[in-house]
Amino acid sequence: MDQDTFVRMKDITKTFPGVVANDDVSMSLRRGEIHGLLGENGAGKSTLMKILYGLYSADKGEIWFDGERLQMESPQDAIDTGIGMVHQHFKLIPRLSVSKNIVLGKREPATVFTRTEGSEEGVLSTLTNTRLMQWLASRFTLGLDEPRQKIQQLSDDYGFDLDVTAPVWELGVGERQRVEILKALYRDVELLILDEPTAVLTPTQADRLFETLRRLADKGLTVIIITHKLDELKQVTDRVTVLRDGKNIGTVETNEQTPGDLAHMMVGRDVLFDIDKDDIESGKTVLNLSALHVENDRGIEAVSGVDMSIKAGEIVGLAGVSGNGQKELAESLVGVRGTTAGSIRVTSKDVTNEPCRTFIDNGVSFVPEDRHQNGCAATLSAMHNAVMKRYRDSAFGERFQLNYEAMEAYAETLVEEFDVRGINDVQEVTAGELSGGNLQKLILAREMLREPKLLVANQPTRGVDVGAIEFIRERLLKQRKSGTGILLISEDLNEIFDLSDRILVIYEGEIVHETTPESADRQRISLEMNGGEQAQPLASVAADGGWSDI
Amino acid sequence: MELNIELTPRTDIPNWLIYLTPVFTVVAALFVSGIALIALGVNPLQAYNTMFIQTVTTPFGITNTLEKGVPLIFAGLAVYLPLKAKLWNIGAEGQLVVGAIVGTAIGLQVSLPIYALLPLMIVAGGAAGAAWIAIPALLRAKYGINEIITTLLFVFVAQSLLNYVVRGPLRASGANFPQSESLPAAATLPGIPRLGDVPLGLLLAIALVVVTYGIINYTRLGYEITFIGANDSAAEYAGMSKLKVYLIVLMAGGAMAGFAGVSELSGVQGRLRASFDPGYGFTAVPIALLGRNGAFKVMLAALLFAVIFVGGSSIETVFGVPSAITSVIEALIILFLITAEFFKQYRIDVSIDGSYSTSASGSPEGDL
Repeated sequence: MDQDTFVRMKDITKTFPGVVANDDVSMSLRRGEIHGLLGENGAGKSTLMKILYGLYSADKGEIWFDGERLQMESPQDAIDTGIGMVHQHFKLIPRLSVSKNIVLGKREPATVFTRTEGSEEGVLSTLTNTRLMQWLASRFTLGLDEPRQKIQQLSDDYGFDLDVTAPVWELGVGERQRVEILKALYRDVELLILDEPTAVLTPTQADRLFETLRRLADKGLTVIIITHKLDELKQVTDRVTVLRDGKNIGTVETNEQTPGDLAHMMVGRDVLFDIDKDDIESGKTVLNLSALHVENDRGIEAVSGVDMSIKAGEIVGLAGVSGNGQKELAESLVGVRGTTAGSIRVTSKDVTNEPCRTFIDNGVSFVPEDRHQNGCAATLSAMHNAVMKRYRDSAFGERFQLNYEAMEAYAETLVEEFDVRGINDVQEVTAGELSGGNLQKLILAREMLREPKLLVANQPTRGVDVGAIEFIRERLLKQRKSGTGILLISEDLNEIFDLSDRILVIYEGEIVHETTPESADRQRISLEMNGGEQAQPLASVAADGGWSDI
Repeated sequence: MELNIELTPRTDIPNWLIYLTPVFTVVAALFVSGIALIALGVNPLQAYNTMFIQTVTTPFGITNTLEKGVPLIFAGLAVYLPLKAKLWNIGAEGQLVVGAIVGTAIGLQVSLPIYALLPLMIVAGGAAGAAWIAIPALLRAKYGINEIITTLLFVFVAQSLLNYVVRGPLRASGANFPQSESLPAAATLPGIPRLGDVPLGLLLAIALVVVTYGIINYTRLGYEITFIGANDSAAEYAGMSKLKVYLIVLMAGGAMAGFAGVSELSGVQGRLRASFDPGYGFTAVPIALLGRNGAFKVMLAALLFAVIFVGGSSIETVFGVPSAITSVIEALIILFLITAEFFKQYRIDVSIDGSYSTSASGSPEGDL
C-alpha cells in the first residue's frame, strides 16, 4: 500500500441476478490526484462508483477512506464522510430552483434564525437563539440568502454561468450538469466522483472544467472521472484504472500511455479512430427552414430566425453549447413543438405547425437528446419500443388490428441489424433494462431502418461507450450514403468534424457561423459557440483569417 | 437491541412475488380482520367459513355473488381502461348514478317492446355515463387539468341530481319515499335461463371484458393506450394523439360505468331510490388496482369483492356482527394491496444488532 493512499477499495465484488458487475476489483486513490476510470458500457464502472458512494452495498470487499474502514449504508453516509458524486442521469428536482436543489439535504435555517455573535440584545434575538427555536428553525425553515450567495460565488469562480434562481426544469442538459457539480462543490467534499462529466460540455467548457478540477486537486481534493473519452483522460488525469467485464485490467500512469494503448486495454482489441467518409453527390433538398422562430417552455424566444437547408445524402453538423436553442430547434423540426414564425418544408411539403404525425409520415426521424424521457417507454418491452414509429404501417396489421408476431419479428431484425446486446427476448426485456449504449442503438435502429428522408439526431453518442460510438458514427455515414439528409446536433466538435459535410454554429438561437470541416478553424468555432466577438460583423470574418491567434 | 431496516429498490421483481402478492394481500387482511372479529366475540374461522366457503358453494350465495358482481365488473372496467393510459377515473360512481337515472327515465317513459327498450336503456345509460365524464375528459386531454379531482367532484353533482330526480320528476305518485315507480316488465333485464336470478347483464359484462382485453392486446388503439400510459412524452414523439386516446379511454370508461348503473337498476333493484347504490363506483378503484394487469383479472377482482359483499351480509345475519366489518375487511385488503406494492418495488433487509440477515428477506411474509 502506497504511503499516500487516500482511498482504497479492496476486493469489491457485486453481483446482480445473472451478472457479475464487479469481480474482485481493487483500486486505490492518492490524495489530490485526478483518477480516470475507463471501461465500456457494462464494464462495471458505475456499479463500482455507486458502491463507493453508498448507493449499493458490495457483496464482498472493503472500503478504506483516509485510514478508516467505511461502513456505508446510504449516500448520506458517503456525503458525511466527504464523498460527492455527479451522476450521469441527473438527480435534480425540476420544479425547484437551482439554489434549492443545491441546498437540499444541507439546508441552512432562515436568516432571522442564524446566530449572530455580539449583535444587539433584544427580545427577538433572545427568542430566536433559544435551543428550541434553533431546532425548529433548522428543520422547518429554509434560508436561501446566504447559500445563494455562496452558490453564486462558486458558480462565478468556476465560470458556470448559472442563474441560481431559475427552476431546474427550464435548464438545458448542460446547465443541469453544472448544477450537479455545484451541488457537490457546495458540500465541501474531499472525494468527487464525476460520471461522464464532459458528455454535455463543449470543448471550451470541458477545458474550463478541467482547469477547475485541476485547481481543486491541487488544493487536495481527489477526483474520479468516469469517461469514455480517451483524449480527455490524457488531458486531465494523473492515473487511469481500466475495467473490463467487471475486472480491473490495470491502473496505469496516464502520461506513459497513448490513447491507443488505453483503448486496447478497455476493449481488448484495437479500435479504429479514423472514419472513412466517402464523397457523396448530395441530392435534392429534404429540409428547408426559412426565418424559423421557436419559443421555449418559458415562452421566451429560443430560436430566432434560423434559415437552413439540408440536402439528401448530406450531414449538416450543428455545433453549439447546450441551451442555445438546439433542443427547441430539434423539437420543432420533428413536430413536437410549435413555431411562432417562419416555415418548415420537408422535401417539398410545407409542414409548418403540422402535428408530429405528419412529420413522421413524411419521413422525418428523430433521435432525441434525452432518450429515457422522449426516446422510449422504459417500462415497455423492446418490441413495443422498436415499433413506436411504425406501428401504423400496414405491415403490422390491417385497419384496427395489430399483428404482434410481425412486430416481434421486426424488433428482432432491429436488434440483430444494430447489434443491440442484452436482449434475449424482445417481448420480455424492457427498454429501461438496457444499458445506455444499447438503448441508443435500439433507438437509432428504429429511426434509421424506416428509411427516413430526414434524420434529426440530437447528441446521438452522448453517454455511450467508444465501441458504440464507433458503431453509431458508422451507421450515420451509412445512412447518409443511402440518401438520408441528416442534421447532427452535437457538442462534441470531433464528432461534428468527422461526420459533417457542412458545419453550422448556433448561438443564442441564431446560426452565427457556417463552414465546412475542410476549411474550418476549431478555435474560431469554439469562439463562435460562446458568442464570439460581439463587435465583429459576421461577413467580415467569413474568410478564415488570422483568427487562430486570438 | 438495535433494529436496522434497509430498503433497496429491486432491479427486477421475482415471479413468485408477482403471483403471491394478491394471495398474501387477502390472507393478511383476513388475519387482521380476524382480530376485530375476535373482539366481537366471533370465531373468525367460522365467520370466514360462512363468509367465503358458504358463499361460493351454495346456489344462493353464487347467484347473489354473480348479481353483485355484474355492476362491479362494469365499474371495474370503467376505472381499469383509463388506468391503462395512466388516468384515474375516481368518479365511476357518478357516471354509474347518471347512467341509472337516464336508464330509469327511459324505462319509465318510453313504451317499446322489451327487445327494443332494453338495448335503448343500456345504450342511453352508457351514453349518459360517457357524457358525465366528457367535461373532465376534455379538461384533462386539452388542458391537463387533474382528472382525479374533476371526476370525483362530478360524483357529488351526480348524487345531488339523483336526490333531486327521486324527489322531483321521477318520484312515484303517491309514494311516501323518495323513489321512482317500478320499472315495467319490458324494462327489466331477465335472468339468465337456468341460473336463477342472475341478470342477463352478466353476459354483457363478460362480453365487455373480452372486448376490453382484445382492444388492449390486439389493436393499434390498445398499443397507443399502453404506450401513453408508460411514457406520454415519448408517445408524443411517436406521433400519437394524447387528446384522442385520453378522450376515448375516459369516455369509454364513463360508458361502462353507465352500463353498471342500468344493469343494477333494471336487473336487480327495479326502481330508482336515493340510495340504490352501495358505492360500486368507488369499490371499482381497488378492483381496477387489483386487476390492473388485465381485463380478466379485473373480472376476478370484481367477483372477489362481490364475495366479500355477499359474505359480509351473511355474517351480519348469522353472527349479528355490524355491517361495518365488511367495510373493514375491504379497507384492509386495499391497505395491504398498497403495502404489498411497496414490497414488490423494494427489497427489505432487517437486521438486529448490526448482524445482517443475508437471506432473501424481501418476502413480505417475513417482514410483517
